[in-house]
Amino acid sequence: MQREVGSLPLAPALRARLAAAGFQTAQELLETGPCGLSKEIGISKEEALEALQVVRQECHGDAARTAGGSGATRKFTALELLEEEQAQGFIITFCSALDNILGGGVQLTKITEVCGAPGVGKTQLCMQLAVDVQIPECFGGVAGEAVFIDTEGSFMVDRVVDIAAACVQHCQLIAEAQQEEDHLKALETFSLESILSHIYYFRCRDYIELLAQVYLLPEFLSEHSRVRLVVIDGIAFPFRHDFEDLSLRTRLLNGLAQQLIMVANDHKAAVVLTNQMTTRIGQSQSTLVPALGESWGHAATVRVIFHWDNSQRLATLYKSPSQKEATIPYHITPHGFRDVQPPAVTQKAEGTEMNPRKRPRREEEEKQQQFQS
Amino acid sequence: MKFPSCEDVEACASAKLLRSMAAKKLRRAQLSQELCERLSRCQITTCQDFLCLSLLELMKVTGQSYYEVQKLLCKVSRACAPKMQTAYEMKLRKSVSPSSAFLSTTLHSLDRVLHGGVPCGSLTEITSPPGCGKTQFCIMLSVLATLPLSMGGLDGAVIYIDTESAFSAERLIEIAGNRFPTYFDSDEKVFCMTRSIHLYRELTCCSVLQRIMSLEEEIISKKVKLIIIDSVASVVRKEFDTKLQGNLAERSNFLTRGASVLKYLAEEFSIPVILTNQITTSLSNGPEIQADLVSPADDLSLSEGASVSGKKDSGCVTAALGNTWSHSVNTRLILQYHDLPKRQLLVAKSPVSPFSAFFYTIEKSGLVLQDGKDQTNLIWEGTNPALQPIRVRNTALKDTLLSATLPSTTGETSSNTSDL
Repeated sequence: MQREVGSLPLAPALRARLAAAGFQTAQELLETGPCGLSKEIGISKEEALEALQVVRQECHGDAARTAGGSGATRKFTALELLEEEQAQGFIITFCSALDNILGGGVQLTKITEVCGAPGVGKTQLCMQLAVDVQIPECFGGVAGEAVFIDTEGSFMVDRVVDIAAACVQHCQLIAEAQQEEDHLKALETFSLESILSHIYYFRCRDYIELLAQVYLLPEFLSEHSRVRLVVIDGIAFPFRHDFEDLSLRTRLLNGLAQQLIMVANDHKAAVVLTNQMTTRIGQSQSTLVPALGESWGHAATVRVIFHWDNSQRLATLYKSPSQKEATIPYHITPHGFRDVQPPAVTQKAEGTEMNPRKRPRREEEEKQQQFQS
Repeated sequence: MKFPSCEDVEACASAKLLRSMAAKKLRRAQLSQELCERLSRCQITTCQDFLCLSLLELMKVTGQSYYEVQKLLCKVSRACAPKMQTAYEMKLRKSVSPSSAFLSTTLHSLDRVLHGGVPCGSLTEITSPPGCGKTQFCIMLSVLATLPLSMGGLDGAVIYIDTESAFSAERLIEIAGNRFPTYFDSDEKVFCMTRSIHLYRELTCCSVLQRIMSLEEEIISKKVKLIIIDSVASVVRKEFDTKLQGNLAERSNFLTRGASVLKYLAEEFSIPVILTNQITTSLSNGPEIQADLVSPADDLSLSEGASVSGKKDSGCVTAALGNTWSHSVNTRLILQYHDLPKRQLLVAKSPVSPFSAFFYTIEKSGLVLQDGKDQTNLIWEGTNPALQPIRVRNTALKDTLLSATLPSTTGETSSNTSDL
């Protein structure tokens, strides 16, 4: 394919000169060579060489794409996607009801948004997930690390210590009950200290720091390749003031959402955002709706709303491509995020809870049986 | 009607942003001189201007290729982005100086539940009906902050921004003398304490905001360890009438701006910030109306109205300033009436504590918790902190009268606060 000069990612001034000199396709540029190019357009040889390198990189990328090899855009069949999704891990929340309605837990490579009234437990869930993402694979976790971007200042280290201690204790109970080699080995490295050391905390004070941090995320995640969770606690707070120009806000939020989708996909990480609720004044009544407007609702793949029913906290799955809408109650205990009723059978139920990987395999077997029948 | 303080508030706000990372001039982001000059010709001088543009716009103004622009974006982002710390480092830092993580309130049960006391580095709000003890609590905490570390204080100065002119120096000395008689045994010590409490009287939203923004230098020079604003609600409610068009949004704007500046100060200097709030009537089928519960007559009429209609969803008395403000504060303590003279302190929102309730009275030495055996059996299931119903004075009075005459009336448990 002959690529037009106007579509190459060169500096605009350079492109204008090339067009004025009569170049039309990338092929022509490559044929001319750096010295000829520099003479014709009147730029230095170094600049010409740089430009040609950019062109070559682009054409190579194009060729790779048309050949169907791996590159920025890949194509899949739905079957390959299915296998990938089933092998995908989930980050459990320790509240089995919530895990169930989410289809196993917080899914990797997807953006999950948690909206809720103040004090309902959004930050608690985020802290719980930052600990749960680190659970070793033999206990049913994804053995990852967490990035925590805090814009509201509600991250409390002491609380994370409590949650992490409860999680470690839980795993120890399972290891004692099941007495397997790899369980005990994993427990050696799964300690309070290691959990805390693998939560990378950034405090962003305004929307510019947040934007800057998200631009730097791909680089950070390449350096720390084990990160499997990015939490942004309070995506609404920095955008709710200092913005008279709402169109700028929408543009920045869209850019942010696209960056996060890219991060989630490229690095196989789950992105969890928390949002506030705002009052929308209708004709006769006011309702609480998620903040940041209607267009922001499209950014997240999965949306969960936390709300109150008198003194019971409820979680509602509001938007999901694969699960049904449902509402479940949950509790915040000194150990963290939990179900309302503790499971009746302790050890056995914990075993199945902690091994969500068993679930997809069972489903696969069921599906195979369905195909065969 | 345009509010006279609007433009001033805008100016204040832009002044704040100028001091943040976003306003960093691009030269200091290590961009080359000629690039900075080129950008300034298009009015792009700060990191904020740079990061708000899209990639194509950036290519146009810098005249560079796509990949170059991406590298520049990373460079500028690095200049603005916050520093990374692991949770472990944060914990280590806290354990090195544990007493600097909170201000003990000397109300032992409350301190225990809050893991030490009023947390440093975050915003704590105290909400209550008039006359319940907000200002008393604030004055008590001012005394505590000036105490030396060995006595559980923060050994520092206090900035007290008073918008209601409710601060009484005599009461301050009375509380100090009665709560710590052995420490404040000489006039010298008392004067030393009173000299460390800096009082500012601000009467408009704009002046409060300006004062907050000027606090950074004062905190350093006077070694301030506690900021109290008593109260936020009174100035805001005077100037913003939520029934008028557009005022709700402006009010939210002002409040979130104020909250973010205060959070910045709290975290930067690791000090507690205490704000007080008033109450309002929240009708479940409409936006909250401003209830000026100043005279007892108004007090009575509200409670009468609610009880006459009888239904729960006719409205309840709750914390003022709306939903957005409830999001902005990190901890919310509610003081409410019980059987006089006993009052109740509720922990309605806290990232470290479950919902808790305590009884207290107001004495010469300030607030005193009633640690009785009925304290330990107090189970209280809280609800949404933004809608937590609060008992006002006359309802408490009415209830005690009712229960006196009708012995079969149900036992008043603290959770039945919405049945007015």
